[in-house]
Amino acid sequence: MVTKAKTLDNYPLIEYLKRLQNGDSLLPDTPENVQEVVGILKSYGVVLDEYSKNLIYIAENQFLVFFPFFKYFNGDINRKKLFKHWWHDRINFEYAEYCMKAMYWHGGGGLDSYLDTPEFQERANAVIQAKFGNNPLVLGLNSLFPDFLTEQLRVSAYYSGLGQFWRVMADIFLSLSDYYDMGMIKTIPEVVNHIKDGLVFDAARPITYSVKIKDKTYSILPKSLGLTFLVDTAIPYVEAVFFRGTPFPGTVSYNAQAYQIPADQARFQYGALYADPLPIGGAGIPPTLLMQDMRHFLPEYLHEIYRKSLRGEDDLRVQICISFQKSMFCVTSATILGLMPHPADTQNPNEQMANQVYFQKWLDRLQNSRLLDVNKAS
Amino acid sequence: MLTVLLLLPFFGAALIGFLPVEITPKLTRKIALGFASVAFVWTIVLAFLFNPSNVSQQFTEFLPWIDVLGLNYNLGIDGLSLPLLVLNALLTCIAIYSSDESINRPRFYYSLLLLLNIGVTGAFLSQDLLLFFLFYEIELIPLYLLIAIWGGERRGYAATKFLIYTAVSGFLILASFLGMVLLSGSHNFALENLNTESLPLVTQIILLLGILIGFGIKMPLVPFHTWLPDAHVEASTPISVLLAGVLLKLGTYGLLRFGMDLFPDAWATLAPFLATWSVISVLYGSSCAIAQKDMKKMVAYSSVGHMGYILLAAAAATPLSVLGAVLQMISHGLISALLFLLVGVVYKKAGSRDLDVVQGLFNPERGMPVIGSLMVVGIMASAGIPGMVGFISEFIVFRGSFAAFPVQTLISMIGTGLTAVYFLILMNRAFFGRLSTQVMNLPRVYWSDRLPAFALAVLIIIFGIQPAWLIHWTEPTTTAMVHIENVVATITKN
Repeated sequence: MVTKAKTLDNYPLIEYLKRLQNGDSLLPDTPENVQEVVGILKSYGVVLDEYSKNLIYIAENQFLVFFPFFKYFNGDINRKKLFKHWWHDRINFEYAEYCMKAMYWHGGGGLDSYLDTPEFQERANAVIQAKFGNNPLVLGLNSLFPDFLTEQLRVSAYYSGLGQFWRVMADIFLSLSDYYDMGMIKTIPEVVNHIKDGLVFDAARPITYSVKIKDKTYSILPKSLGLTFLVDTAIPYVEAVFFRGTPFPGTVSYNAQAYQIPADQARFQYGALYADPLPIGGAGIPPTLLMQDMRHFLPEYLHEIYRKSLRGEDDLRVQICISFQKSMFCVTSATILGLMPHPADTQNPNEQMANQVYFQKWLDRLQNSRLLDVNKAS
Repeated sequence: MLTVLLLLPFFGAALIGFLPVEITPKLTRKIALGFASVAFVWTIVLAFLFNPSNVSQQFTEFLPWIDVLGLNYNLGIDGLSLPLLVLNALLTCIAIYSSDESINRPRFYYSLLLLLNIGVTGAFLSQDLLLFFLFYEIELIPLYLLIAIWGGERRGYAATKFLIYTAVSGFLILASFLGMVLLSGSHNFALENLNTESLPLVTQIILLLGILIGFGIKMPLVPFHTWLPDAHVEASTPISVLLAGVLLKLGTYGLLRFGMDLFPDAWATLAPFLATWSVISVLYGSSCAIAQKDMKKMVAYSSVGHMGYILLAAAAATPLSVLGAVLQMISHGLISALLFLLVGVVYKKAGSRDLDVVQGLFNPERGMPVIGSLMVVGIMASAGIPGMVGFISEFIVFRGSFAAFPVQTLISMIGTGLTAVYFLILMNRAFFGRLSTQVMNLPRVYWSDRLPAFALAVLIIIFGIQPAWLIHWTEPTTTAMVHIENVVATITKN
């Protein structure tokens, strides 16, 4: 017991550990934080809804298309949409793909494991044969490079998986905003609870993926696999996008040869919880696209907050990013609390200890994150 | 016609001086800007009425004034003074526009700015040595007060230093003017009546030395330059704009008008020394600029270096080099004004000019990307990158000077490389990288902050692409001023 107490006294994130032990959020509960988090999650919900639709559209309609020029049009191509696309005042679906690639790269969960099984290979072959049965050139190439088309289908499976994950998250965030507007949510713990309840409610939701070729449906991720929302998409997503991320130019040095980037992907700390908001707006900074998208759907009360800042809305995308980071700490809190091994109010010392160890594992990973910064800014 | 250029700022200063105290600084600025703008438009009108092919003084005005002193009210313009007049009028407008809207004692401030304009305009218009000297001294008082009252922490020191240096400069110039008139037997100070060429060479050299050092302090040339960085650092942005943009040009103008033009033989004799002096100024000014951490001081030392090119061109005294000297005056006026304006915006918003503090200003959201882009334009122009007016002027200076002083010209060309070095240091430290924590919450930059810099940047690019529009006004005059055989013959003889 003495050792345990000593360890906790010296623990740098003791304050946050205590908050989690009490079932509270990593973000302090202030009225400003509630407005920022709910407001930003509302716009995020709208954007996620669009991303989700497009990812699912790509997975179901653009699979095994070598040059998917119009993949962002959701099948509705006209001159007006084309010019809007080129003008770039549109939803940047590229960001959704960036997240999908990050997820695919870092892997984890049942989806990742399944895509390397002979069963998947078999299902993929069936799809390839159905799609290119009359195309000896592609089938010949497939024989020469047997992993190429299979890899395309793995990517498509991730398009679908992330699309289904975001479908759920979009609904959670939009309903959060509705409850806030109705006065039913007023505090950060209530925000976290709402997200946690949403995650738990849909935890067992099956993740499936099938494609239709010539009126015949081919199941790539059948329901029988038992892939579920929380374990196979939500957790890998949080790991890939919130924690690990990818080192892109502008935020960290890209000099991998100088060992400035860890060789082990598991040690990556370039995710949303670690990202420096200041470079947002610069070329080659993927989150810039997300902030640009959210900019269009901010509620008026959030605009009001931003307008009162030193630069007004001149640095809108950075301000959105700061608010977004706060909201992501709420989502992370909800995930941590949702997955905790024992109830927060347990009186069993062993269970309390297990919870503490569990929290410490999470918090150890957050030591270099923006946790202190978002708390300082609050 | 020319008197209007003196009367407009005079009436403006008088009106502002007698405005009721209740008038806001903003309105006072508008009134001052109104008078300055009309004066600027008037200089443009004059430019269009000016006949460039006529190398003699135009729009001359003569009024006998104090006969016993030989002082007359004698004004005129030629291809040398016209572009400087336009530059002065333009930069006065920009300085007034860039002045702080809520400045203390606005009536006094704007009156002094307009008086400063009168002094500089009068000096460029004067065709009488004593009248020139009067205007030259008149500008000293408002400038001293503008630094001493609205300057930085060490404004008292900087203003006094400026006053002492310029007073010495004035004394030397006046002594030389008196010597020229008395020794040449002229009955008045009219420029056209002076016959200094008849004086013995030694006398000419002595008189010329007075002119050289007097105007050398004003330009300034090493080692008489030490007042300039202090004055710039302590002066507010609009005053720095005027100081670098036009006031230093009084020195170069005086050198060409009263040195090279009036003492061709002595000039030819001293030319090799002047060329070497210019090399020292260029290299010393540029080297000092590299060592600076204060952005404003860096730009100030850059001026010391760039003034050296004008001395080199003047020393060579070929038609091309003298044309280059005049272009360099205009080009430096525009570029240094732009750079000081931009440094001023950085200081106003970030609260620091220290290159160890200010970083990452190119940040697209929280930095000053437009100001940074304009800074790139200014830096490219200053470093003589083609497409900018700086390239045209420096190329003509080097091309024109090479015939007379190939070695000095080649060494001076190192200065353009050094300019790129120190300004890239400035760019790299202040604008690239992550926005430093000390300045990450910068206030908004408004279009009104950017507008004057935009105007200057546009001119820098226009004259860089189409230099003929500038050369057209000046070339006949500068060609007529040059006694080419003197310098080149002397060099060849030696």
